[in-house]
Amino acid sequence: MSELKDCPPLKYYDFKPVEHVKVCPRYTAVLGRSEDDGIGIEELDTLQLELETLLSSASRRLRALEEQRQILTDWQDKKGDKRFLKLGKDPDPAASTRHKPKKQKLDGKGGHTPGPGPGRPKSKNLQAKAQEYEFTDDPQDIPRTPKNDAPNRFWASVEPYCADITNEEIRLLEELLKPPEDEAEYFKIPALGKHYSQRWAQEDLLEEQREGARANDKKKSLMGGPLSELDAKDVESLLKKSESQHDSPEDGCPFGPLTQRLLQALVEENIISPMEDSPIPDISGKDANDGAGTSPRSQGKAYSVPHTRTLEARIKEELVAQGLLDSEERPGPGGDSEDEVLAELQKRQAELKALTTHNRSRKQELLRLAKEEMRKQELRQRVRVSDNEVMEGFRRIMAARQKKRTPTKKEKDQAGKALKERESILKLLDG
Amino acid sequence: MSADTKIAELLTELHQLIKQTQEERSRSEHNLLNIQKTHERMQTENKTSPYYRTKLRGLYTTAKADAEAECSILRHALDKIAEIKSLLEERRIAAKMAGVYSDSDPPRKTMRRGVLMTLLQQSAMTLPLWIGKPGESPPPLCGATPASSDYVAKQGDKVAARVKAVDGDEQWILAEVVSYNHSTNKYEVDDIDEEGKERHTLSRRRIIPLPQWKANPETDPEALFSKDQLVLALYPQTTCFYRALIHTPPHRPQDDYSVLFEDTSYADGYSPPLNVAQRYVVACKENKKK
Repeated sequence: MSELKDCPPLKYYDFKPVEHVKVCPRYTAVLGRSEDDGIGIEELDTLQLELETLLSSASRRLRALEEQRQILTDWQDKKGDKRFLKLGKDPDPAASTRHKPKKQKLDGKGGHTPGPGPGRPKSKNLQAKAQEYEFTDDPQDIPRTPKNDAPNRFWASVEPYCADITNEEIRLLEELLKPPEDEAEYFKIPALGKHYSQRWAQEDLLEEQREGARANDKKKSLMGGPLSELDAKDVESLLKKSESQHDSPEDGCPFGPLTQRLLQALVEENIISPMEDSPIPDISGKDANDGAGTSPRSQGKAYSVPHTRTLEARIKEELVAQGLLDSEERPGPGGDSEDEVLAELQKRQAELKALTTHNRSRKQELLRLAKEEMRKQELRQRVRVSDNEVMEGFRRIMAARQKKRTPTKKEKDQAGKALKERESILKLLDG
Repeated sequence: MSADTKIAELLTELHQLIKQTQEERSRSEHNLLNIQKTHERMQTENKTSPYYRTKLRGLYTTAKADAEAECSILRHALDKIAEIKSLLEERRIAAKMAGVYSDSDPPRKTMRRGVLMTLLQQSAMTLPLWIGKPGESPPPLCGATPASSDYVAKQGDKVAARVKAVDGDEQWILAEVVSYNHSTNKYEVDDIDEEGKERHTLSRRRIIPLPQWKANPETDPEALFSKDQLVLALYPQTTCFYRALIHTPPHRPQDDYSVLFEDTSYADGYSPPLNVAQRYVVACKENKKK
């Protein structure tokens, strides 16, 4: 049946129009009348029925034509489909019976005329029938196949949620419960870096320096070395100067607020000298001397930033140690209450902490449930086994009954034992 | 323009439409014959050459267009018939209101029961058949398709109405709508059997409009009641609806339902299958009566 490959699964419907002369006598009669004769009111009911018959037939023809035309159009794409071959080969009895009523209806549309219509040779009819069996309802079967897939896909998607819990999954849960190594990483508070305005200024300067160096290279080739060296020094001092300016841009003072306040206090009370005993004044005194002796603009070097910064830190430390300053005031290590970034960071860390604790407790709960479920699974497994045993016992006893002999004691005992065991497991499972 | 001239005019139009229908049909006949011949040739050769495939596709397309044209003109003709009928119905109602009966509609009071039954059968038979275009779904009140919840039956519509009889029993009767009061949500209906004598005022819950189209089992089987469904069906030769189970739905447009009425006088509680027209089968709202 290889030529089937070249045949679209057409049904070769009989599109013969309704024999109106036979089926629709009133309609035919009306057709024969002249305009003057017209139609009587009493004829309306019959006419309606006949017109409905015609319309029904025409609509069905319309649908069948559309279907067949679609088959022809689609045929090209489906030609390679092996299913056609398979379905075409063995005439499925179910399919042909399914088809038959349709055919009958088609004929029946002829309505109340029994037998084939006139002008239609019987042999042709037979041939059409024979053909019909070969071309089973392929076009209807084919689109149906993908539909059948849907439940399978659905169940496959549901399966993971209903499946038994495996050891693998328990292990995974336990793995998840371990605190991650990088956890501490998220709770670190990095040291305060340079203020961005400083850093940017520095970067800008370096950039300029590089560009200057490039320009110098050109100059150098013309004029020689010493100038460029000078330039480099200039840039450095410029850089320092700008740094010191940025440090406290309002007043141009390189010292931190505590240092300033302390100094101010000391100056006012005129007790600078006793401070020479303590280690702090050593530094502050030096700085103060420097500050007093030179203006920041003329001597940028003296105000190197790290120096004042450490001084400030030391002073603070000392003040705290002396009990003059409350360390509680400071919200975090090395931070101060006005640091928005720090506050935000701490807030987020607190959130993270809460979340991880919550997650951990959930995971623990899940693990507990999973273990519980594992235990139940095991019990259920055992129930199944003992179910089988019970059934086995039942079958044996039934077999014995059928053979009209009383079941042996062994069989009875076995059945009883199986039943009891099953019950005890069930109790465990429920408990 | 009087109703009579209007009807006469419509009848003439209908006549023309019928003639056009036949023209359309003879025009498409040739093409259908062509399809048939092509089918025969293809079947004898038992394979489909691209030539035949293309040819057949062309033929099908033409035939489809023809069928569409034929359908549209037939619908047109059927619409005309419906229009004439509604005019006639209007006339009948008007006459009834005036208390005058025309010749074509003799006074019902003196109507013999047999005549009434024939009339009911006739109106069931000529209930228009709904034939949708491909892809169209049946409208409300077609076959088993219920009316929308806010549907109001029009004057002259036939309905199933639940009324209290003298002895206190409740019964579903075949009735005709006289009016509907929108403020009280109540219908006035006439018992079809004893017209004029009994006029009932019933809340809309007690009214089930009858189908206005027959569903076509060949094209819209889903618009029919299905086997074993509980319905209210008009018991043959009566004007009362009783609970029944669908035995078999109709197979062809003019077929009736075969139903099993609940009947305690039979051993299994159901009557043998009886035929009831599509028009007189409505959905049964579950109620306490059993």
